[in-house]
Amino acid sequence: MNTIFRSAKVRGVMIAFLCMMGYSMETMASMRDNLILLQSLKGSWSFSIGINDEWISPKYDDSKWETIRVPSAWEDQGFNGYNGYAFYRKKFTISSAHKNRMLYLYMGYIDDVDEVYLNGYKIGATGGFPPKFNTAYNAERVYYIPEKCINFDETNVVVVKVYDVQQGGGIVSGEIGLYGGKSVVKLDANLQTEWKFKTGDDLKRKDPGYDDSQWGTIFVPSKWENQGYRNYDGFAWYRKAFIYLGNDNERMVLLLGKIDDVDQVYINGILIGATGNLSDKSNVWTNTGQEYSAFRGYYLPVGFLKKGQKYVIAIRVLDTGGEGGIYEGPVGLLSQDKYIDYWRRNR
Amino acid sequence: MSRKCFTLTMMAVLILTTFSMRAEDLRKIASLSGYWRFTIGDDISWANPAYDDSKWDQIAVPGKWENQGYDDYNGYAWYRKEVMVGSLPANTTIYMVLGRIDDVDEVYLNGKLLGGNGSFPPTYITAYDRERKYVIPKGYLQENGENVVAVRVYDGYLEGGILGGQIGLYVDSDLELLDLNLTGRWKFNTGDNKEWKAPDYNDEKWKRLNVPGDWDNQGYFDYDGYAWYRVKFKVPQDFMKGEFYLSLGKIDDIDDVYLNGKYIGSVYDLKHSREYHHGGWEYNARRIYKINSKMLNYGGINTLAIRVNDLQQRGGIYEGPIGIMSPENCRRYQNKHYSDHSFWDFIYDKFVIEY
Repeated sequence: MNTIFRSAKVRGVMIAFLCMMGYSMETMASMRDNLILLQSLKGSWSFSIGINDEWISPKYDDSKWETIRVPSAWEDQGFNGYNGYAFYRKKFTISSAHKNRMLYLYMGYIDDVDEVYLNGYKIGATGGFPPKFNTAYNAERVYYIPEKCINFDETNVVVVKVYDVQQGGGIVSGEIGLYGGKSVVKLDANLQTEWKFKTGDDLKRKDPGYDDSQWGTIFVPSKWENQGYRNYDGFAWYRKAFIYLGNDNERMVLLLGKIDDVDQVYINGILIGATGNLSDKSNVWTNTGQEYSAFRGYYLPVGFLKKGQKYVIAIRVLDTGGEGGIYEGPVGLLSQDKYIDYWRRNR
Repeated sequence: MSRKCFTLTMMAVLILTTFSMRAEDLRKIASLSGYWRFTIGDDISWANPAYDDSKWDQIAVPGKWENQGYDDYNGYAWYRKEVMVGSLPANTTIYMVLGRIDDVDEVYLNGKLLGGNGSFPPTYITAYDRERKYVIPKGYLQENGENVVAVRVYDGYLEGGILGGQIGLYVDSDLELLDLNLTGRWKFNTGDNKEWKAPDYNDEKWKRLNVPGDWDNQGYFDYDGYAWYRVKFKVPQDFMKGEFYLSLGKIDDIDDVYLNGKYIGSVYDLKHSREYHHGGWEYNARRIYKINSKMLNYGGINTLAIRVNDLQQRGGIYEGPIGIMSPENCRRYQNKHYSDHSFWDFIYDKFVIEY
């Protein structure tokens, strides 16, 4: 070893540099790298151009639709020159042997915008449909499937609504399929759905009575860049009202998956938890740049939630650069006992 | 979480390993490393020694939990361990050393709170870079029997858990050099008032604080500025006579010491000491003040009052030994701590111009 490496300081700088290299490598990997393919969904799907909300229903009869190969651009499958809305539908079954895993629908890359429904439940959305059109052709789609949305040993129907503005359109590439992750997290309340959303910063937004009726909506979890806020860095707030249906004396945990970058979480105006270090001022904060990779499970104080009461979760997020927002699930509430059980099963 | 300021941490390690002089002379009486019972979650009843933790996981300590099946876990977790303790030396203080904990902790021994570092949510403050060393108050530790240690931990993000260090129970051999041990719970008040040095001042309403132990971990987190300590103690009729020494360990940062109302010294009287060479030396200087039998009230109550000014960060009388030493014991104490002439002392002695 060269004498220069004997200096702890030089070694420290070297190690820090290697760690930074490691982190940038990690972010470049595919989002399905830690998941196991349970069932491929590549191959023929039912397909129709146009738009009709009835097509979302699992009961809808699509037997007269065209078939199309997934993944590929529809231009290569007889729809050359078509731009606009189209729907994809596919039926599949999954064995109850996979009941104890967290399940994800991996949809690869979709050109330009999509919304995905499983058995009629919306499980994900990326990009923005007209009139607030916003392409997300270069975003990888991984949608967490909440437990209640899937049927084991029975037919499931996945419906993908796509909008393409120009050139190649549709579910264009990727190892499309159903993937398994860690052991399933049994949420008491699923909060993976549409939330109220507004950019900017104002601490009054934490108050439960704050009027957010004029705010936009955003699907959680998904990066806000893919939902009409392209290139937006800075503060934004998420709000969601819910009614607590669990027991009064149970200690609850609020799972918020992963958030890019820094957050502060309020329930009914009371600070519950934070990752990174925001202050009351919009221009004073500290972070380390690693907050985006932290899995958030915020413990609520004992007896905080009362059965039958309405609560408003308000999340203040600061994105310091790159992509931003609550971008990875699961998102929801569960009791501490179930949360402990989840981690033990995964050990 | 340790990667957060990686280079800074490495530099801190570098500085600590080269500059720090040996602190107390700690001797291990029981190890706490090995397998502990572990669970994520948070419930204050888990501090109870009678709680049945047999269904909990087992985890190696020290070591981060991310490598032991809890990858990506952030939040609360509890550790529990039974430790067997034999006979304890008399007249000494026992410390529990838990090394580095990422990020916040609260430590219970047989159900009684020993102390904590950092702050739990919602006012979360990390203490990942502080060494955990807790004074065990008299009567908390069961001699010749089983003791249950329970540690409540909160990790903000990145690495979490009891990460490293020579964890165990220790006695401070320095305390054996004290002819009168003044370690204990003293009176404490923030602010500054010259009347507080008077032996007859009524300090009944003051708070109590462990001495030694910094005030930041005892309810005064991040308090900077003036504060006073007071303690009353008895001196036996047959106690040594003549000249001897008052040791006050280490104080962060500046002290003025009054014995029975009379000023006896401050850190600035210690400019002959080894530590004076280093910048910001006050917090690191060993306080040894010469006193004599005329200053003491034999067979009666004596009052020690110490005015402390903390310039920044940690504050207070944070390290022992605290008490009175005979000249022979004081010499032994100094030989013990100043014989290990460090490389940096050598450089300073050789090249730095005398003051």
